[in-house]
Amino acid sequence: MTDIQSLIRPRFLALIRQRLSMKKKVGLFFFSGIGLMIWSVIFYVSYRVLTYFKNIESIGDYLSFKLLSMILLTLFSLLIFSAILTTLSKLFLSKDLGLVHGLPIPSENIFIARWIESTFDSSWMMILYTLPAFIAYGIVFKAPLLYIIFLLVALMPLAMIANGISSLIVMPVVVILPATRIRSLFVLFGLGVFVTLYIAFRVMQPERFVNPEGFASVILYLRTISMPSSPLLPSTWVFDTLKSSIHAKYSDAIFHSGLLWSFGMLLFCINTIVARFIYFNGYSKSQTAQSRIISGNNLFLYQIMSQVSGPVRAIFIKELKTFWRDQTQWTQLFLIGALIIIYLYNFSVLPFEKSPLNAVYVENLFSFLNIALAAFVLTAIGARFVFPSISHEGMAFWIIQSSPVSIRTYLWIKWLCYFLPLFLLSEILIIMTNFLLHVNMFMMVLSVLTIACIVPGVVALGIGLGAAYPDFKSENPTQTVTGFGGLMYMFCASAFFGSIVLLETYPVYLIFNAHFKRVFLKDIDAIMIVFCFSTCLIICLFVLFAPMFFGEHRLKRNVQARDEEDIDDDNDDDNEKASLSGIETETRRNILLSRVYKIKSGKANRYPAKNVFEEIQSCH
Amino acid sequence: MIKLIHLYKQYGQNIAIDNIHLSVSPGEIFGFIGPNGAGKTTTIQIMAGLLAPTSGNVILSGISMNSDPVNAKRLVGYIPDRPYIYEKLTGIEYLRFIADFYQISHDDFTKKSSRLLKEFSLEDRQNELIEAYSHGMKQRLIMISALLHDPPIIIVDEPMVGLDPVAIKLVKNVFKQRSHEGTTIFLSTHTLSLAEQICDRVGIIHKGKLIATGSMEDLKSSAKSGTEDLEDIFFQLTLETKMESIP
Repeated sequence: MTDIQSLIRPRFLALIRQRLSMKKKVGLFFFSGIGLMIWSVIFYVSYRVLTYFKNIESIGDYLSFKLLSMILLTLFSLLIFSAILTTLSKLFLSKDLGLVHGLPIPSENIFIARWIESTFDSSWMMILYTLPAFIAYGIVFKAPLLYIIFLLVALMPLAMIANGISSLIVMPVVVILPATRIRSLFVLFGLGVFVTLYIAFRVMQPERFVNPEGFASVILYLRTISMPSSPLLPSTWVFDTLKSSIHAKYSDAIFHSGLLWSFGMLLFCINTIVARFIYFNGYSKSQTAQSRIISGNNLFLYQIMSQVSGPVRAIFIKELKTFWRDQTQWTQLFLIGALIIIYLYNFSVLPFEKSPLNAVYVENLFSFLNIALAAFVLTAIGARFVFPSISHEGMAFWIIQSSPVSIRTYLWIKWLCYFLPLFLLSEILIIMTNFLLHVNMFMMVLSVLTIACIVPGVVALGIGLGAAYPDFKSENPTQTVTGFGGLMYMFCASAFFGSIVLLETYPVYLIFNAHFKRVFLKDIDAIMIVFCFSTCLIICLFVLFAPMFFGEHRLKRNVQARDEEDIDDDNDDDNEKASLSGIETETRRNILLSRVYKIKSGKANRYPAKNVFEEIQSCH
Repeated sequence: MIKLIHLYKQYGQNIAIDNIHLSVSPGEIFGFIGPNGAGKTTTIQIMAGLLAPTSGNVILSGISMNSDPVNAKRLVGYIPDRPYIYEKLTGIEYLRFIADFYQISHDDFTKKSSRLLKEFSLEDRQNELIEAYSHGMKQRLIMISALLHDPPIIIVDEPMVGLDPVAIKLVKNVFKQRSHEGTTIFLSTHTLSLAEQICDRVGIIHKGKLIATGSMEDLKSSAKSGTEDLEDIFFQLTLETKMESIP
């Protein structure tokens, strides 16, 4: 037990003892404010939705509890996914594992310490941001205060169970598959996530519940929405705990939370036993034979880019190869893939024929809104891949700095690397959704051109702001998007495509109006149309160049300031030393000076101890 | 070939480099020695174009690093003290990446890379991902990449860190050979014996100031009697400077 405490202790000490500069305090305050805002929005939306459901006679409660069951099932799936990645990293890939395994501690104790850490790391954020929805349930259903206690008592073992299942999957897989196949492992997990998300989505079929006519009878509809989830799922036990505590059936709530805790503890015990036998083996395997032979003679990419200038070819091929070989990117690719498939699926099932409005009008309206939606998908992809691309250079950024390429050229080459695939992806997305919507030629051309104008700006925002706020020391550069720069990127990109879509609204309305009424446009309308589209073009050009310019200047300044920060840190240490008591300092100085005088007069060893002079100066 | 003109670099209140002014001739190996935090790496990073000086200039073969950094960098092969490179590339891919920046033709690259990879004993590992390389192997790969375009100037920060004795001997020979062929080499080091063995001239930097320059003979003659090796001269000079600052 002492071993486990000692292993977890540095984590707490690092939290307690971190020195927060004014800049960091402001940042912390800012992000706490944003976090609180998101939390409040989730609470407000949940409260409004539940109040609405509650007011629907007869089926209101059924709908609310069906929603609760869906939230819990989704939460449980996401907890498992998050835990798989966290346990893999904490148990096998962390850089400090070499040091920890060198200590005279049984490997199962190391496992337990890491397991506790990963349970916390993989779940705290998800639980924190689902809490407002659960609290809203309590308020809307006028639950007793004990509901909050049962809520916490139920969510904690859910996180334990998710982590327990994940580590039971991860440990044997790492032992079976050699470390050289770690990429395959990630692909496997990515596929698992994709399939889980897709199945969860399809199993829930959320579109059915708002459409009672789709069911053969009212009884069938009621039976479907009141049907409990599988009793073997831990999320069902949480559901039963919460539902029982809302209705003040405490004995039932205790029974279901008891189920959760006992299963959580059972999984913990099984994990500890499994870890005793295979954890160190897996760790050992993951540390050895990491070399991967890759054919260096594959010159295909070099040949097809033979006419391109050297630096462009160099950076383009480097980006492509490092991207495909970096396993952490794979899971993200699968998630993005899932997002796009669900996005396209939604368009294919839109019931236009049931709309009371003109189908052509609705389809074109959706097509117009789809431009914003596609731009949002593009922004989300940019946040994952484009924004962190400068930070991905890491400590190897010196290579770019010392190479005969200016920072400006480098940033534009990076822009080109991401522009081409994102342009293709966005255009394919918009054309496919337009086909699914059966839009007319005008809307097709408009949306294709609008997206073609938005993509360069969104990519420039990603590269420019990524260069302005880089983190070359981060172990996981993808996470830089959660910082201030990432937030700025999301905000600026959303404002950018939002303003373009808004500006296009009026001319599109005028053109459609003229088309449906079969009249010619007036002169003033034509001028307005030209004005709006020209303003859009100017905004697009501004957003293409301004962030790149900003990023270039900030990056140059940041690189210069990096060493300055290190020196400032050293000064902080000196200040701490200087805070010794006055008498102590004076005595120390006298001792040191007498040594120097002895050396000067030749009565002592001519080489004083290292840093003796710095120490004398610090005594002033 | 290399001219440092009144180079000055200040970080906030701290002066990292204080008016360094020196020149290094073509084909010369210049050793830059000094204690930790003396300003060696800052000077080298300014010379390689990684940092901008607060004032002063670096002229490489007549090209100013301040006004024409891209062309100045074409003349330099820079070897940093810590081998951070793109771990997801193989050794040969990394070399090809560097070669593309210096517009080396395909045939030229094939010839030079295979010769250098053989010379630095990395021929068998060239198709492996760099993440599997040891510290010394990465350092050797960086050296190959710095020599690939036959630069007239090589700037090296702590060249022997992480190298085994065989590699150290090899690097010494490579530097000597390149120097004979006319390449100017500017190296910073803690290893005084290395500076003594291969440098034509040495500069001692302390607290950002260049406190002594000259050949080994010059330094020995300027030091107090009885000092025979560079280590003695180094300690004596840095000690004197420190003592002067104490009342």
